[in-house]
Amino acid sequence: METSITPAENSQPLAPETATVATAAPVAKADRIHTVDMIRGFALLGILLMNIPIFGLDESAFSQILKGSSENADFKALGFIHIFPDGTMRGLFSMLFGVGMVLFTLNKTSKPDGPTVAEYYYRRLLWLVLFGVFNAYILLWEGDILFYYGLAGMLLYPFRKSSPKLLIGLGILCFAINMYKTMGWFGDTKKTRKTYLEAKAAIAEKKPLTEAQQGAMGRWEEIEKSQTPDTARSKRNIRKMHSGYGTIFSYFIPDNANNEIWGMYHGIWDFIGMMLIGMGLFWMGFFSNKLATSTYGMLALVGYIVGITIGWLAFINGQVEWVRHFSTYIDNWRVPHFLLYDVRRVFISVGHASLLMLLYRSGLVNWLMRALANVGQMAFTNYLMQSIICTWFFFGYGFDYYNKLRFYQLYYVVLAIWIFQMIFSSIWLRFFRFGPFEWVWRSLTYWKKQPMRLKKIV
Amino acid sequence: MIVKVKGYFTKPTFSINLYMEATPNPLPADTVEPIIITDSISYRKPQPLDVLRGIGILFGLMVSVWLFAGFSNGRQFGIINKATGFDYRLYSTVSVLFDGKMRALIGLVFGAGLLLYMAKSELSKTLPAADFYIRRQMWLMAFGLLNAMYFLWPNDMLFQLGAMGILVFPFLRLSPKKLMLAATICLLIFCGKNYWRFADDKGVYKKYLAVTVVEKKFAKDSADRHIKDSLAKIANPAKPAGIKDSTQTSASKDSLAKAKKDTLTKEQADHKAAWEGLVKNLVFDPKNDEGEKNEVRETSYGKLWDHMLNMTQGREAAWTYRTGVWELGMSILLGMALLKMGFFAFSYRRGQYFMLAIIAIGIGLFFGWFRLYFHNSALRGYEKYITHKWVPHTQFIAIERLSMALGYAALVMWLLQANLLRFFTKGFAAVGRIALTNYLLQSIFLSWFFTGAGSGNFGKLNQWQMYFFVLLVMLMQIVLSVFWLRRYQQGPAEWLWRCAIAKKWLPFKTPHAIAPPGDIASTPA
Repeated sequence: METSITPAENSQPLAPETATVATAAPVAKADRIHTVDMIRGFALLGILLMNIPIFGLDESAFSQILKGSSENADFKALGFIHIFPDGTMRGLFSMLFGVGMVLFTLNKTSKPDGPTVAEYYYRRLLWLVLFGVFNAYILLWEGDILFYYGLAGMLLYPFRKSSPKLLIGLGILCFAINMYKTMGWFGDTKKTRKTYLEAKAAIAEKKPLTEAQQGAMGRWEEIEKSQTPDTARSKRNIRKMHSGYGTIFSYFIPDNANNEIWGMYHGIWDFIGMMLIGMGLFWMGFFSNKLATSTYGMLALVGYIVGITIGWLAFINGQVEWVRHFSTYIDNWRVPHFLLYDVRRVFISVGHASLLMLLYRSGLVNWLMRALANVGQMAFTNYLMQSIICTWFFFGYGFDYYNKLRFYQLYYVVLAIWIFQMIFSSIWLRFFRFGPFEWVWRSLTYWKKQPMRLKKIV
Repeated sequence: MIVKVKGYFTKPTFSINLYMEATPNPLPADTVEPIIITDSISYRKPQPLDVLRGIGILFGLMVSVWLFAGFSNGRQFGIINKATGFDYRLYSTVSVLFDGKMRALIGLVFGAGLLLYMAKSELSKTLPAADFYIRRQMWLMAFGLLNAMYFLWPNDMLFQLGAMGILVFPFLRLSPKKLMLAATICLLIFCGKNYWRFADDKGVYKKYLAVTVVEKKFAKDSADRHIKDSLAKIANPAKPAGIKDSTQTSASKDSLAKAKKDTLTKEQADHKAAWEGLVKNLVFDPKNDEGEKNEVRETSYGKLWDHMLNMTQGREAAWTYRTGVWELGMSILLGMALLKMGFFAFSYRRGQYFMLAIIAIGIGLFFGWFRLYFHNSALRGYEKYITHKWVPHTQFIAIERLSMALGYAALVMWLLQANLLRFFTKGFAAVGRIALTNYLLQSIFLSWFFTGAGSGNFGKLNQWQMYFFVLLVMLMQIVLSVFWLRRYQQGPAEWLWRCAIAKKWLPFKTPHAIAPPGDIASTPA
């Protein structure tokens, strides 16, 4: 994700044709890296908001909180997460991954007879896939995304010079595929429910059941069971999480495998869609601080208003009802609220980025923007570091805080990690050119030890 | 036309004839010379990669037909369990000769084709070669999705080949040695995964054993209690009412309390069920096949689509992740190494090809025998197998498959070099030249023949009828391909593929000369 080279300096929004000639002026270069890195840093820190409960709590916590009083601090915290940042940080991160892809491939000239840019790009991604496997299976972070980023990135290459229209159109198509799949699943569930109710009626009237009705009875009961918390499972899970590394390692293997199988085949549209949209926005100059202040203002306003409205409705009418009255929800709604999940994500992600751009331009919180840019410049290291810190903090072989904090208390941990990562990144980058994991990744990609220390400026 | 291509072939020195004419390597072994691609297409001689591709696709059908026709795992297990008779001989022959070997062979050819395609793409001035390459792979994945989902062939391999082509892109420049090493790593992981699955089964069995111990204790306890209670009754015959007997009441309370604990916990019951399910799956139960038969004989295409979708997604997601990457990876990487070593350009002597064929097929046959023998003993009693055997019957299928495929490739090279069986090699080469079209046609025709949407023959053929049917299909495809190629240069699917890569409609009839750079998809699946 390091972006040491940027496209052509041009006061106009970047157009695909101009970017192939790489003549970046140093000052402008530093400027542009700053905004991209800053947003990336923001997304990287923000992603922990959604990840921390998965690190620190048994999954039964979610339904318990949602079923409980809405005055509860946990309920409020969870509501805030679901309505506002959920999925948007990943979205922003994916968008910037797409941007990084464009920057990487378009601004390197390959030596004749040597490996081409494409080869370095694919090597880099293949290593990223392996880093993802390492993050999931060895560092034990079951929510890893690097694996999918590596694979999704491999499909982006032919689109690196496509027009913004095509890119955004394809991104929307990816989300349409997601929606189609969601509707297929929801439709099946509704059908099962309907047949189940018919079967119930038939039993009441003492009519014999058809084969389809019998099947639906079993299937519906299974679905309902899957929606109710399984206390035995939770107990086992908590017991396992309090044990040593070996136990948790083998406990996670099947889950990790299933996650990666599902994610690489069904879940991948989430990433590809955002990456394509990110590339499209980049070509329009969105991430390189090229749009008018009023445009950023409008985008921030519209993005947040639309996104938060959808989020609010989806949480109050959707998620909460889903957990509290599952079967009535299935009966009542023809379309599930989470169908609009990706729509909300795009709007709020664009909103975040626009707001950051406004803040950056205003110069009000320069220190914060600088800190975010530092975090973003070594995003890969910081992402893996979150896995390392959180697993050590929560899991049995570390400080063993698994399932011991309340939901809202988790966010004290988040705050501490944020501060730590901002300070750490700033100090590190005073002495070194890249973050430590960036350095490893780079060295592996070029298959040669890369220079690490920053040269002293005389 | 002779073109020098820089890049991918600079390390090992050999000259490669793009269409593989039988010319020995004219370059001395230690000069680093860019590869020379001679593009004088000779249609008189069957080209090795075409022949091998044709063989892979046609004989692959001998095994694919199992799934197409409803020759279920259960039925196969029944036959292996019996281990005698005509059915077994037929099954074991097909299984040892073809099962997985044709996939490996296609992988070898595909790997070699990737390099050739890349080399040819480098000639293009319009786009970087990588663009052609990646587009070609992505469109192949799309063809795979079409084939699997719409032509109802869940075990399609185009999707995986397309994806694998992208994954091995960073390996194209490696030397043959390094490619061999990478192939070996894939092979070892494939072997390892088969062992881990077996180890998992062992774990399940261990847990089951622990549960049986508990159950035995329960049985013993209840017997003991029974005896104890009866003895107590004999020792203390009923006392007159009103006199309290502390010993008796406490004893009966005690046994009652124990009786409550005499059921397995949910976890224990799960452990027991896990093993029992495992064993049950190994026994052929004709009832299991009935459901599948009804589903596939279903006449509505929409319902068939639904039914197949599960299988397709399972194959494309889980199988690819767990097995496909390693299984295809080992053969594709080996194919790339072989191409760079000049294996497909007759860089070796006739005797060398022949020796390699004998040895590699010999190894393959040995491991094939091992697999069937051990599978038989596993099916006869998995409990005994799992306690006594070190490895599962699948332990060496990676070696079996790859070695056999390598042997076949060597055998064909020998045949071509010795100019033997020209009639056959020409026929296979024709099929291989329009391989994508033929592969898709197979799915269309077999889905039509077996599913209810067509003539609904699923589950109706017995083994020899199945193979006879396949032989007919093979014959038909050879004849069709030969006649097609007399009139046209490319198959319709290949044409569509090229158009998609070039992003424009290309003329269907191309002149005999080399297709202009940019319109190349010279070596399809």
